[in-house]
Amino acid sequence: MEFFLEILINGVLTGSLYGLTALGLTLVFGVMKIINFAHGTFLMVCMYMTYGLGVGFGLDPYLCIILVVPAAFVLGYLSQVVFVQPVLKAERDVREPVGVLLLTAGLWIAVNNLFLMLFGANFRSLKTPYSDQVFEFGQMLISRPLFYAFVFSLGATAILALFLRHTHMGRAIRVVGQDREAASLMGVDIYRIYRIAFGLGIATLGVAGAIITPMLYVHPFAGDIYDIRAFVIVVLGGLGSVPGALLGGIIIGVIESVASQYLTMSWAAALIYMIFLLVLFVRPQGIFGFEKDS
Amino acid sequence: MSAMPPSGKNRWTDPAFYLPVLFISVLLVNPLIIRSTTFTQVSILVLWYACLTASWNLVGGFAGVLPLGHAVFAGIGAYTSTLLFIHAGLSPWIGMLVGGAIAAVVALLIGVPTFKLHGAYYALSSIAFVEVVRIITENTQQIGSLKINGVQGLLVPLRGHAPLYFQFDGKLWYYYIIVALLLIIIYITYRIHRSRMGFYLVAGGEDQEAAESLGINVTRYKLVALSLSAFFTALTGTFYAQLVLYVFPQGIISLNLSFEIAFIAIIGGRGTLLGPVIGALILVPIGEISRIYLSGSQFIGIHLFFYGTIIVLAMLYKPSGMMRSIQTGYDRLVHKLRGASASAQHEGER
Repeated sequence: MEFFLEILINGVLTGSLYGLTALGLTLVFGVMKIINFAHGTFLMVCMYMTYGLGVGFGLDPYLCIILVVPAAFVLGYLSQVVFVQPVLKAERDVREPVGVLLLTAGLWIAVNNLFLMLFGANFRSLKTPYSDQVFEFGQMLISRPLFYAFVFSLGATAILALFLRHTHMGRAIRVVGQDREAASLMGVDIYRIYRIAFGLGIATLGVAGAIITPMLYVHPFAGDIYDIRAFVIVVLGGLGSVPGALLGGIIIGVIESVASQYLTMSWAAALIYMIFLLVLFVRPQGIFGFEKDS
Repeated sequence: MSAMPPSGKNRWTDPAFYLPVLFISVLLVNPLIIRSTTFTQVSILVLWYACLTASWNLVGGFAGVLPLGHAVFAGIGAYTSTLLFIHAGLSPWIGMLVGGAIAAVVALLIGVPTFKLHGAYYALSSIAFVEVVRIITENTQQIGSLKINGVQGLLVPLRGHAPLYFQFDGKLWYYYIIVALLLIIIYITYRIHRSRMGFYLVAGGEDQEAAESLGINVTRYKLVALSLSAFFTALTGTFYAQLVLYVFPQGIISLNLSFEIAFIAIIGGRGTLLGPVIGALILVPIGEISRIYLSGSQFIGIHLFFYGTIIVLAMLYKPSGMMRSIQTGYDRLVHKLRGASASAQHEGER
């Protein structure tokens, strides 16, 4: 029983981190209705930033959040200006635009391999005093960095949800997501909102990158594992829904954690994709999504 | 291509007729003139990708959706013909058609639920489809008594030079087979494009609701297009199995292949007849040449860096693909040649 509880708790903790990696994706989709395939790549870049700060200046990864998050915001904002925005504008009148999907898929391949060229295929790890430590609850062992990741994930999700609900900018972002024509008529500069939303989406990856770095290896393809999983989570929770992303992440984390005890890791992955397809067919709007989004 | 031949004249003096004939002739004699194995090999690869993309184009180009799951159909073709060859001794020429038929049926089964989805949702569902099939194939050693060997894959039994069993001792044979396959796929695309079904597909792709309100059953035409597309993709998959004589999950049922197909289509020009050929001519040699000459250097991954950068630049500066500019240039050439021959004739009459 305790063994099962430990698996369950680990699933919830890992799942909250998955939820955090999906948060930016769901925000960007909710506002712009685009799919960012380079999401995992941005996460990888944030991991390298944390690693660089950790090795270069001896900064603690959790302290790095203060620097990595603004840097990630700027990175996202600039990427929107240089890459996404021109394609979005060109496809303004297309009924089902897929240009951004292909553009970001191109970015994903280009940037991953650029990092491979620059930093090599080595697996790097940022060792911290607490990397291998565990909390003991009776018979249960919970990894310390994983527990911290859980706390930071919940915190970041709560901050984003509050920001979207209560600030002027947050409301503007939600309005554009609900009806861009109406928002535009009300005098909202929708492309400015897009830039900020994309920046915010990547900023959440800054948090994720910093808290993953003490636990996992940093390498040019480190983000890819989170990439497609983030899509699954986002669809499960409902594209565009912030609490949905967290809940979807936890569901996936628990399924993965439980399934990999009884099946192999790869069957667990196949199971997740099958659940994903089932959700798409039966309830494409996800758990928290709205009917019209599908 | 687009211009009609002027009436009452010999077709051979009309550039709209003799230019395409010239291109096809060049395609046919090229490997006989440039007798280099590398050239023939890269050409086969270019044509193979052109076949895949032209098949993809039947649904991805005209029907307004972005399928990223075509690697599964190629995998069905490769695995079906190879399994039938190993276990029943059936020639891959026949196995190819069986694989095509199975792929077409699978396409119908997967198409019914997925065509209810639109835009990003459709693309994501097709990605999940590839991943599920790949993971299951990688983790299955045998289905009943059929050994599929999981990750390791299957070796095609060698028969030496056996044309009846789709095995040849020279690359040239493969070259002409893939040329023939490409011409067939392009001809069928051309016929569909000009047919009622083609117009329905384009109309449904542009605005499904409007097309449906005019009484067109858009989903039905999309399903027909998808199963045709899957059929030809599977044939192309069998070709690959016979060319490399080895099938394994990561090599064919991969997301990378699915993305490559979509990229080639975009660079060439989605929904144009010859866009897939142009796209394959641009992207495949770049990938191959940089793989051969650059990846041995200290910069591993440089060829994929180029590949990704080209996609990004294409999406930013030429999102409709290269085909439109090429078509304009071609039309101008036809016009010019026609003018030249007309004035020459005029001179002769005087």
